[in-house]
Amino acid sequence: MAEQVLEGSQPVDLEKHPSGIIPTLQNIVSTVNLDCKLDLKAIALQARNAEYNPKRFAAVIMRIREPKTTALIFASGKMVCTGAKSEQQSKLAARKYARIIQKLGFPAHFKDFKIQNIVGSCDVKFPIRLEGLAYSHGAFSSYEPELFPGLIYRMKQPKIVLLIFVSGKIVLTGAKVRDETYTAFENIYPVLTEFRKIQQ
Amino acid sequence: MATFELYRKSTIGTCLTETLDELVSNGTLSPEHAIQVLVQFDKSMAEALETQVKSKVTIKGHLHTYRFCDNVWTFLLQNATFKGEDIQENAVRVKIVACDSKILTQ
Repeated sequence: MAEQVLEGSQPVDLEKHPSGIIPTLQNIVSTVNLDCKLDLKAIALQARNAEYNPKRFAAVIMRIREPKTTALIFASGKMVCTGAKSEQQSKLAARKYARIIQKLGFPAHFKDFKIQNIVGSCDVKFPIRLEGLAYSHGAFSSYEPELFPGLIYRMKQPKIVLLIFVSGKIVLTGAKVRDETYTAFENIYPVLTEFRKIQQ
Repeated sequence: MATFELYRKSTIGTCLTETLDELVSNGTLSPEHAIQVLVQFDKSMAEALETQVKSKVTIKGHLHTYRFCDNVWTFLLQNATFKGEDIQENAVRVKIVACDSKILTQ
């Protein structure tokens, strides 16, 4: 929590963030292999805050409060950890889950930890003409307001998907490292200013 | 229809069990009859709660632990308040065990 950048609490590094805006990380998805077969029913019965309904989903769903995350634990020993707000928090949470599994008597390891997705968001604080943006960036954009109110922008380099809303709120997803999120935002920012909606 | 034996642990259930034990041990009642009474008790409790109880209670508290396994939810609450139409009770610790009655008919 300590290293989380609070808006306005410190000067933004304009070399790295020329827009002056740093996207906030909202969700990190990571995976790890505990490298041992697991008895999911035994885990569900012994661990706290666990759900196991094999008829609906073949994994134990477990939650911890610090870092506030959810883990999907599979019988193969593979685990998915979601909900953390930073890479370190995601790894710390995954370690805590591995420790819980160990305490229940399984020879759990911590193999091949990997960040699979990073979701960030920010607010450019001005409205955006999505039709104009979609028209001039047709190759990357998909804007179907009757299906979804946001414009879906599939950036090629870095390979990031952005959801751009009329309100100026932006969601960036698909990153494996946070710098991809930051680069994608700096790439799109001049485009957003170009299609700024002038209010009457 | 099958029923849960959930209510045998309630005050009224334990009282009934004790009484039946007494009747069986002094020979007034056969053990088979006692079992039959308990099975009827399970059915009657389920039916009475379904058809005769109209009051509603809301329970609010800090959810310390939850679990869902074998179609049973278990909740451990801390500092819970039970609010009914004209009652309010506080409890430092509460354990809620909830079973899905639908699984009996499947």
